[in-house]
Amino acid sequence: MTADAFLFWFLAFVTVVSGLSVILMVNPIYSALSLAMTMIGVAAIFVTLNAYFLAGVQLIVYAGAVMVLFVMVLMLFDLKHEIQAFTRGRLTGAIKIASVGILSGLIVGAVTMGLKTPVVITASSDVAAAPTVDTTRALAENLFIKNVLGFEVLGVMLLVIAVGAVALSRSKGGTHARD
Amino acid sequence: MLETSIFTEITLNHYLVLSAIMFSLGMAGVLLRRNLIVLLMSIELMLNAVNISFVAFSHYMGKIDGQVMVFFVMTIAAAEAAVGLALAVSIFKRFKEVNIRFFEHLKG
Amino acid sequence: MTTMGSTTIEIAINLVKTILVFLMMVQAVPILVWLERRGSAFIQNRFGPNRVGPLGLVQLLADAVKFLKKEDFVPEKGNRFLFYCAPVFAMIPGAIAYMAIPMSVPLVTESYTFLIQGYEINVGIVFILGISSLAAYTILMAGWGSGSKFSLMGALRASAQIISYELALGLAIVGVILLYGTFNLAEMIQSQSGSLNFQGFGYTVAANWLPNWGIFYQPIGALLFFAATFAESNRLPFDLAEGEAELVAGFHTEYGGFKMLMFFIGEYAHMMVASGLMVTFFFGGYSIWNFSPEEVHSWIMNTFSVAPFTANVLNSIIHFLSYTIKFALFLWIFIHVRWTLPRFRYDQLMDLGWKTMLPWALANSILTAAIIFIGSHFTL
Repeated sequence: MTADAFLFWFLAFVTVVSGLSVILMVNPIYSALSLAMTMIGVAAIFVTLNAYFLAGVQLIVYAGAVMVLFVMVLMLFDLKHEIQAFTRGRLTGAIKIASVGILSGLIVGAVTMGLKTPVVITASSDVAAAPTVDTTRALAENLFIKNVLGFEVLGVMLLVIAVGAVALSRSKGGTHARD
Repeated sequence: MLETSIFTEITLNHYLVLSAIMFSLGMAGVLLRRNLIVLLMSIELMLNAVNISFVAFSHYMGKIDGQVMVFFVMTIAAAEAAVGLALAVSIFKRFKEVNIRFFEHLKG
Repeated sequence: MTTMGSTTIEIAINLVKTILVFLMMVQAVPILVWLERRGSAFIQNRFGPNRVGPLGLVQLLADAVKFLKKEDFVPEKGNRFLFYCAPVFAMIPGAIAYMAIPMSVPLVTESYTFLIQGYEINVGIVFILGISSLAAYTILMAGWGSGSKFSLMGALRASAQIISYELALGLAIVGVILLYGTFNLAEMIQSQSGSLNFQGFGYTVAANWLPNWGIFYQPIGALLFFAATFAESNRLPFDLAEGEAELVAGFHTEYGGFKMLMFFIGEYAHMMVASGLMVTFFFGGYSIWNFSPEEVHSWIMNTFSVAPFTANVLNSIIHFLSYTIKFALFLWIFIHVRWTLPRFRYDQLMDLGWKTMLPWALANSILTAAIIFIGSHFTL
């Protein structure tokens, strides 16, 4: 077993187990901490795929900022144990579990199909062959030349979202309400 | 003799299956949990699953566009988390709980 | 890239290096604690540790025994699991981040090139920022796990401070990245060799009596970065995490004994990362002023008349000493500032971070980008 394969199986185990604990933990703080663990695992998976810059951004944005925000809000709320953590109602619950089951079945089907068909695409490409600085440089060139419109639109959207979040939290019942 | 190449040779399929499993975990979370913040976290899980498949495709196809998409997804996810948490704070201030059933009070 | 190595021996060497760097960091902590106590005593005109051994040096051993023998205490209402996890996790981000900083010229043998750092990662800065942003979790875990209102409030205060100052920290580095055009720390150090040499607008201004360090190109960036790292490592004047006089001691109110010591190791690790980055970005890293590594190498060869391999080893050692001297200087500045400046109030701290440092860092990065673009495309 090569080091790469070992790394993949290890990271897959970590992400799946911590992802499972996100949805199974009754205490939402444990859910949030497991999700942070998942994010770190995903960042490591990005490293195995030679996307170093994205791995760093994943750590900074998701693990370092978004999840810290979640954990802080949960701790401020001080929700120790939820009264009603999971869905209620027998029929709706059964339908929901069934739909998740169908999706999982589709995945199993995909796995078996993937095993039967020969692998067409192999990792012999320019990105895989030149795993150094150039992925970051190529990323920047693609982002700022080819996708510059999307970049600008995202900037405007972030501004709108920031104003909206501030307005929500300053409105009646928010954290900084002006009574 | 058991075929072991599935364990030792990591291909695009492995990453896609991992991504699919994580996506269905997130979907199960959205459907089964009642806490608004856990719902938001499950959505983040689904977005991360999609990110894995984007980066895996980008790596195995040799095109950088997938990574740019991941960039956009990350930005939108962060923004969505900010607005979602602001809503959750409003709900919590009113009802002292963030259960999803309080959202029916938002109408009208 | 993260070459953990392809062959077994490379992986083994890299693992050994990682452990060595970690041990170096942990061993530096007692020395820093001693320096901090002696230094504070000199600055504030009082007696430091001076009874146990020469200059109070053996005090450290006594302290270690004291820390180990204290009662292992868990608050009744706390969360046992998080309470024990937090101090362990406190050491990890600092240690992992420090391993990415190059400390000397690579040691070249016939078959291998040993990098004098834990591991090399191509996007060094982004990686270090990402890892050290995980420090907020340990604080939140400690505050929540203690099950006390004071701890929780202290933890929320400290983590809000850390994520606020992370913005200014990240933006202060943007100027540096633009200047060197790389994320790689080793390449940054290489481009700082030689003497000061401004190029742009069709002119070249050289000052042979100054080294080619980043501080002369990015003075505002250096100042903002250094100030933000003080806040990141929870040191005075930003140490609202442990303002024990006016706020109850923050997130580690309930901690004592060895768990407390682990938080201290984490704090010192952050200080070391900050000093190492400061040296790497703005003060030439391990490079010796006016001498390139090749010149030092040939000087060693000629003076001591040794074999090339021995000269390589000596070269690495000399550059490591050069790095250590700069590094120790910044650690001393950290200690000196702690014992001379008063503490900010919380609203002042937030105002400084959001309303002063963030706009200045933004202005600095925009100005740097504009000057680099205009200077390389137009002539006066």
